[in-house]
Amino acid sequence: MTLWIVAMIAVPVVAGLMIALGREEQARGTALLASFVSAIPVLGGLLRFDYADAARFQGRGSLEWLSELGIRLSVGIDGVSLLLIALTALLGPICVGASWTAIKERKRSYYAWLLALQGAMIGVFAARDLMLFYVCFEFTLLPMFVLIRQYGSDPEMRIRAATKFFLYTFTGSLLTLAGLVYVAWVGAQQNSGVWSLDMGYLTGVAQGMPGTQQAWVLAALLAGFAVKVPLFPVHTWLPLAHTEAPTAGSVILAGVLLKLGTYGFFRFAMMMTPSAFAEHAPTLAVLAIVGIIYAGLICWVQTDVKKLVAYSSVSHLGFCVLGLLAANRTGVSGSVLYMLSHGLSTGALFLMIGFMYERYHTRDMRTVGGLASKMPVWATFMVFFTMASVGLPGLNGFPSELLCLIGTFQSDAEWVQAGEPGAEGGLLGPWYAAVAGIGMVVAAIYLLYMVGKICFGELREPKHHADHDHELPDDLTAREITVLVPLAIGCLFFGLYPKSLTDPIADSVDVAVRTVLTGESPERVAPPPAAEDHAEDSHDGEGGP
Amino acid sequence: MMSTLAQSGVPEIMGSITLAHYLFVSAVMFVLGLIGFLTRRNLIIMFLCTELMFQAAGIALIAFSRFHMNLDGQTFVIFVLCVAAAEAAMGLALTVLLFRKRESLSADEWRELSG
Amino acid sequence: MTTLAADAAHSAVTSGPAWAILIPAFPILGFALAGFFAATGNKNKLPALATVVCLAASFVTTVLLYFAWKDAGGGAMTVKAWDWFDIGSPGADFVASFSFYIDSLTIYWMLFVTGLATLIGLYASEYMSHDVGLGYCRFFAAFNLFVFSMSCLVMGSNLVMLYLGWEGVGLCSYLLIGYFYKKPSAVAAAKKAFIVNRIGDLGLALGLYLTFVHFGTVEYADLFANEKLLTYVDAAGRGAFHEIPVAAQGIALLLMVGAFGKSAQFPLYVWLPDAMEGPTPVSALIHAATMVTAGVYLVARFYPLFLTSQFALPIVAWVGAITALLAATIGMAQFDIKRIMAYSTVSQLGYMFAGLGVLTPTGGAYHVLTHAFFKALLFLACGAVMHGFAGQLDLRKLSGLWRVKGWMVVTIGMFVGCINLAGVPFTAGYFSKDTIIAECFVTPGAGPIGWILLFTAFLTAYYTFRVFFRVFMGPTEYHAGDDLHDAEAAAAHDEEVEHEAETGDHHFHPHAPGWAINSVLAILAVCSIAATGLYFVGGGKVDVHGHEVKAKHYAQSMVLQSTAAYVTPYDHHAFHPDDHSGDHANADHAEEPPAGVEPPERAIERPVFEPDVTDTIAPEREADLREALTHHVPPPAGVGPQGSIGEPLSFFGYDPHKAMYYVSGGLGALGILLAAALHWVGRRDAAHCAMDGIAKRFGPIPRWAENKWYVDEFYDSTIRKPLLAVSTWVFAAFDRLVIDGLIVNGFGYLPRIAGSLIRPTQSGRLHAYASGMAVGVLVLMLIVVLVLVRTGGLS
Repeated sequence: MTLWIVAMIAVPVVAGLMIALGREEQARGTALLASFVSAIPVLGGLLRFDYADAARFQGRGSLEWLSELGIRLSVGIDGVSLLLIALTALLGPICVGASWTAIKERKRSYYAWLLALQGAMIGVFAARDLMLFYVCFEFTLLPMFVLIRQYGSDPEMRIRAATKFFLYTFTGSLLTLAGLVYVAWVGAQQNSGVWSLDMGYLTGVAQGMPGTQQAWVLAALLAGFAVKVPLFPVHTWLPLAHTEAPTAGSVILAGVLLKLGTYGFFRFAMMMTPSAFAEHAPTLAVLAIVGIIYAGLICWVQTDVKKLVAYSSVSHLGFCVLGLLAANRTGVSGSVLYMLSHGLSTGALFLMIGFMYERYHTRDMRTVGGLASKMPVWATFMVFFTMASVGLPGLNGFPSELLCLIGTFQSDAEWVQAGEPGAEGGLLGPWYAAVAGIGMVVAAIYLLYMVGKICFGELREPKHHADHDHELPDDLTAREITVLVPLAIGCLFFGLYPKSLTDPIADSVDVAVRTVLTGESPERVAPPPAAEDHAEDSHDGEGGP
Repeated sequence: MMSTLAQSGVPEIMGSITLAHYLFVSAVMFVLGLIGFLTRRNLIIMFLCTELMFQAAGIALIAFSRFHMNLDGQTFVIFVLCVAAAEAAMGLALTVLLFRKRESLSADEWRELSG
Repeated sequence: MTTLAADAAHSAVTSGPAWAILIPAFPILGFALAGFFAATGNKNKLPALATVVCLAASFVTTVLLYFAWKDAGGGAMTVKAWDWFDIGSPGADFVASFSFYIDSLTIYWMLFVTGLATLIGLYASEYMSHDVGLGYCRFFAAFNLFVFSMSCLVMGSNLVMLYLGWEGVGLCSYLLIGYFYKKPSAVAAAKKAFIVNRIGDLGLALGLYLTFVHFGTVEYADLFANEKLLTYVDAAGRGAFHEIPVAAQGIALLLMVGAFGKSAQFPLYVWLPDAMEGPTPVSALIHAATMVTAGVYLVARFYPLFLTSQFALPIVAWVGAITALLAATIGMAQFDIKRIMAYSTVSQLGYMFAGLGVLTPTGGAYHVLTHAFFKALLFLACGAVMHGFAGQLDLRKLSGLWRVKGWMVVTIGMFVGCINLAGVPFTAGYFSKDTIIAECFVTPGAGPIGWILLFTAFLTAYYTFRVFFRVFMGPTEYHAGDDLHDAEAAAAHDEEVEHEAETGDHHFHPHAPGWAINSVLAILAVCSIAATGLYFVGGGKVDVHGHEVKAKHYAQSMVLQSTAAYVTPYDHHAFHPDDHSGDHANADHAEEPPAGVEPPERAIERPVFEPDVTDTIAPEREADLREALTHHVPPPAGVGPQGSIGEPLSFFGYDPHKAMYYVSGGLGALGILLAAALHWVGRRDAAHCAMDGIAKRFGPIPRWAENKWYVDEFYDSTIRKPLLAVSTWVFAAFDRLVIDGLIVNGFGYLPRIAGSLIRPTQSGRLHAYASGMAVGVLVLMLIVVLVLVRTGGLS
């Protein structure tokens, strides 16, 4: 299992290097092949994973890195990580396929960075060492920066967007680093000066901190993760970055990169600082709810369709955070489900917009629209994914939204005390869910506004349509449909059988929920011994968060 | 010869010349170089002035080396001289290139680094 | 002697036949086939054929299920397809499986849903023929998907399944209203329908959450057997609403919002008239017969929850009545025949809600059924007109169509629909409407609702026959609509030679409906009349929670066996032993518990009475009733229909049910006569009639009514526009200028400002740097020296 995990990270990175050193005209073919090959270890992981014991970090293995500081290359995955990795691997070939004709120049660098990004993202989800996590977390910025800056749509704005994206998220995560290092320092002091950055150990250390310290650590963690999510009011980098990024960049950004933030909430904010998390959950929930409605209403008045979808991510991720803040099994399961399903439907929406942009070189809904009469297949997919995003039952948006909202709703302290059969948690309550539920109505408003403009009505095409890209036919090509179909199937599957996804994460979610509600992790991880020189020791028995 | 000198600790022939003299010469050379560098605009002159400062430092190094009866300083100066020679070649080549670009040797012609 | 436990045991739900899944599966197959035909570029009517076959198969399966259900004893059954949601292992699990709950209400609804869908699918195969190709496939794909969603809605075994169907039908409604997607008005109407429905859906969703929190389950089988719920129903029966937690009472109020959205009740009715932008078969199936009755289904299905809520049913009744009246007044002033039908649908849905609100779910459900047939018929007849006259819907431009060759079936169909809608005696619509109105006069406190509904019945008869007399009667005259550009139709018309004497456009020939349309109209006309029979047959003894109750007719027997048949909270007839309501005699009161037994158990076992079950009071029952009276806690006064007990429960001394036969029949006849006088007699052409002069005397009121009392404009100016303005000028601007501009970029500018302050030091001149360095070195040396001097290091 350990080897599978290592391969998950290593294959895309190595392939990326090969592409960078290889020939320009071979770049995209190699990338496609590599993205499929990278999926093999993930498949292996999915098959080898022991679902009966999904809360345990399986395939634990570590390698010396900087032993003086206790930093090791340590990996291991639980159910949540596994599914997020699977999502990342699924999006890999799709991103390559979506870039097939869109990227015409400097393909080597483009595909190399794309694959490196994939490796780094998997690294984030698989890391069990704080520093490895952080390095991967930060490394994702670099490929994304390049993708936006070099391959973005508008030559002027893309530089601005890339810079803002980089500086904004980087600034936030530096504070996170400070918080993590502080926790590691406290951990080293408790462990007679021996440093260790093992996540399981440090989680226990942080949980043992007094309230004020936890609050500060939580603040530091949130500084990075909330920006990444992004939570209102630190969201403004996202619309800009999304709008300028190339299609595949947007897909990855929406599909996985934003989930690094919610994953951080789940893995760190909940587990390390449970009591502070519980204390501040209502405040954060208010931010999430404000974000849901505020961003939703902003969507409604956008003219750039990509910006609209970008803002819709802000709104949607608000639900995701809300589910985590509810801190009960329904809410947190829904939230993890949201991480997965949002990647599919919003990623697909970005693909749709990308396909349109490739043909018309504009995203302005005032100049292009009514495409259903010219691109019926495209419009069909567009309506499908929009409905997935609206949260239509039977598609992927619904289970996650439903569970997040039920989780929020049932998490009422009075109800829990009164012993209502369906109440659990105690941090939020029905009013939060009711107000957040308005976001469902707002989502319908802006997404239907978008579909109404861009798919329906009289055909509107930009005046300079003479420079229509004639490499592409009017409607979708077989390649484009092939890219979309897996996502569509995924949307349907998630919608009709969410149990297949909530089961593998149930145990991890349970651990997280108990941690927050009781303030302490069920299992404490013993401090690791002073650094020893064993190259690769896979001790599968090591449990804990 | 050198070995006896080294062992005695104090140079016999130049008994009246102390470390302070060397340092004085070094300082004078350095200040001359500095003044030259600051006041002249000709790239070649300025370059020569930097060499002057360089050598001033070298003298100081050798003087201290002799004073402490430690060969480190002298070894170091030999390296510095080597580097200086290479650097002189590079510097002069650069100067020629710069001259070709602007048809002038004035340092004021080059101010692209202005913030 | 029944106890709570026995009740619960009785309602234990058995497992049903697995092939029931085929009912929703066939439409999905049809959907897949239509999609396949679309992908293969089909250019003939195969999608319609596939649809009709699939839907017919679904209908046949439903009929088979009906018999299987009867054979199984008539209880509730569940059929599980697969696990859908299952969160958490211990404690409060959120479990909702993809499964179906089959009881009488389900079957009752599914029978007419699948049956009508089949017929209307057949009708649509001809109606949509101008669009054969991709559009045809798209239409039938959505049509099938609709039937699938509707069957999930009706058959779902839990609230989440219901929600799936609920939103699913909303989606299909959206897709089908926006079928003519190039028309901006169609797109806007589709969007409006979806969004207004979403507001209702939010209520439904919150109701779902609250149900889960309070009862710990969303599965019907567990919910309706929940002991808490049974206790509440009992408490409500005693009028002891203070014993019921607010949370439990809130569920009904939330679900009600959802029902109002889907069933187009005030204030959420505005989407339905606009929904007429869709093709007429869609209007007939979705926006008249089936989808819009989902709200009625919801209330009927959750009747126990509505009973436990102090305010829910009175609100339902009042909203229904207000909607009925409001929509009727708007309908009177419209000129677009399809819109008139739309408003009449809203109005009739109001009747159904009023019926539910005044404690006669039977009346509501029966009206749903009769309305489904006659309104589908009316719509399809209007659609035939629209199809034949190139989209003409203005009743001022059509007249005397019955004389036009080939339009007799349509005329008869329209006539049958109209007499049903107008409530002409002995039609199905007459009986179902009367049940509701009469019940208003029976239920204490609901008298005003009854009067409103009676007045509305008069208006209904008027506007219904206004359409009929203007479009089908009088001198023959017609003008083509604006769909003449249709290439196929134009080509067909050119071939024909003008030989008919027309007073209208001389270049236009209406094309008479073909066999598909005519046969469907004929079948529906027969069904509409036959539905009357259900008022007289199909009754008999049914088993209600272990009690034998005599149902008067088929609809009642179906309702009584379902969850809609819970004990009515105010067994109001019991308060007036001398009322006509001797129907208590039907109940198995031998099981009346002896005095001293706890009230909850007493109430639970009280069987359900439909007040329209008219019998004479058995002498031995009178004592029972008087005894029952002494045990009843009077409900608090002034809480809606149930409140004031003192009111007479008779209609001027007569049995309301009998009186209504004459009163509403008379009012209907009056309305028809008025319509005839104003719109038929003496009318010379299509555009002018006697009403024109009279309308002028009312001043601006007819114009206001024609403009729908400006409700849309009111919503637009008080909700949509302010929200849009806030979004544009507050949120979007705030986001761009303050959050991103001031704060984020402000932070970004900090280093830039600092940089610009020290930038001059970077002059780019070599000498400046050198001097700076020299000065720096000097300063450093100075500091070193000073420090050494201070510390005495130099000495």
